[in-house]
Amino acid sequence: MSRLIALARNTFREAVRDRVLYSILFFAIGVIGLSLVMQEITVGDREKVVRSVAQGAIAAFGSLIAIFLGISLVFKEVERKTVYTILSKPISRWTFVLGKYLGMMMTIAVQVGVMMVVYTVLLTIQQSVPPPVVYVSAGLLLMELMLLTAWATLFSTYSGPTTAAGFTLAVFLIGHLADDIWTFGNQLDSAAAVEVARALYWVLPNFEMFNIRAHAVHELPIPWDQVLGASAYGLCYTAAVLGVAMLVFERRDLK
Amino acid sequence: MIPAISTKNLGKIYRVGFFMRRVEGLRDLSLDVGQGEAFGFIGPNGAGKTTTIKILMGLHRATSGSASLFGVDVNESNARKRVGFLPERPYFYEHLSAREVLHFYGQLSDIDAAERTERIEALLDRVQLTRFADVSLSKYSKGMLQRVGLCQTLLHDPDLIVLDEPMSGLDPVGRALVRDLIIEQRDAGKTVFFSSHILSDVEAICDRVAIVVGGSLRECGPIEDVVADRESLEAVLVGEMQKAVDESRLGVL
Repeated sequence: MSRLIALARNTFREAVRDRVLYSILFFAIGVIGLSLVMQEITVGDREKVVRSVAQGAIAAFGSLIAIFLGISLVFKEVERKTVYTILSKPISRWTFVLGKYLGMMMTIAVQVGVMMVVYTVLLTIQQSVPPPVVYVSAGLLLMELMLLTAWATLFSTYSGPTTAAGFTLAVFLIGHLADDIWTFGNQLDSAAAVEVARALYWVLPNFEMFNIRAHAVHELPIPWDQVLGASAYGLCYTAAVLGVAMLVFERRDLK
Repeated sequence: MIPAISTKNLGKIYRVGFFMRRVEGLRDLSLDVGQGEAFGFIGPNGAGKTTTIKILMGLHRATSGSASLFGVDVNESNARKRVGFLPERPYFYEHLSAREVLHFYGQLSDIDAAERTERIEALLDRVQLTRFADVSLSKYSKGMLQRVGLCQTLLHDPDLIVLDEPMSGLDPVGRALVRDLIIEQRDAGKTVFFSSHILSDVEAICDRVAIVVGGSLRECGPIEDVVADRESLEAVLVGEMQKAVDESRLGVL
């Protein structure tokens, strides 16, 4: 356990010393701040527009950070050969992958946390204290990023950052279109095609399950059924993807 | 007594290129290194030395045969509990300082905080890095990184020390420091297993040597037996390399 913590803490420390990460974070905070200006140039329910743009920015930049950090998580260690001295200690490969992943999740959680603090301060000044549904929505966003990072970690166990970025981005986009795959499949004439579409729907991640931003923007009651279902789904799916990542890394020769 | 290192018919086949061409990296390597021995592992480039070491350290998986450290299969992470490893050209996290990186390795070896601090300071002092201990590793020279590498190798006071080309690319002062540290460990009763191109160092440090050429073990034994009536260890190595070329031409290999 102490080895796992050491690996996670070191991954976190490496990430927070990365200047590129700060650039993304400052840009994200800038966009959240700019959302306040949106109400000056919009018509209709101005307050909701501000909330929608700001929460959308948090989700978009959170995903960007997860992809950016996750795609080189394991690959970088192998490429830079830092893995040699680490795995020559009594550390199993699965501990290494899990430790790196947990460190990355700590980093992402802190980034989302910082963005949420900025959002809370700005909204409190401009409108009112955000209701709890906003924070539950942010919690589900973290669940989504947990799954997205697990996919990025899986790709980084066997491919370089460019390939891993392509695959992770594809998973991200498909995951947000999963409901469309289901709808599209049900409209097909061929029974086999319907089955293929349904199989794809169940195998591919469904990131929209984690999306309750409409509730957060409109300040509706918390949809607990969706929150609990999505949390269970996110935990199980993440564990499965990480399990595959560990298996892949276990068999690899580290050049 | 259980050998510190034992390999039985160890083999490694790599698949390279688009058509997965088969390249034999190691063939039927059987070797025992006793506890407390200083053992030199020599051979030309591409002989299979680093492949063997990587299999022992769990970085590569053997295609055939088996290997163990103190009787524990190398595929189990616990096999490396009593092992310190210095790879050829060690790489570390450049965002950390020497002190930070050594604390990290100490945590990975499960050394408690007080003992860790004490050992780190003693080792930094021994390799003359105390003055630069809080400087980021990105600013270190190659020789300084090698010294940090030695510190992480010895940090948990391992019984077996595996060194892959520890003197490569070092200046004479760095080489002397590394050689002295290896001799210290040998004299303290530790098992030292190291590969090197610098045969004078091997002759000065080791009790026994193994010569690998083309992935096969060609000679193994005490240095004086291996050299026998030949001029030097270098002459033996060159002779074995020539023999391997001749056998290859005749289709023996």
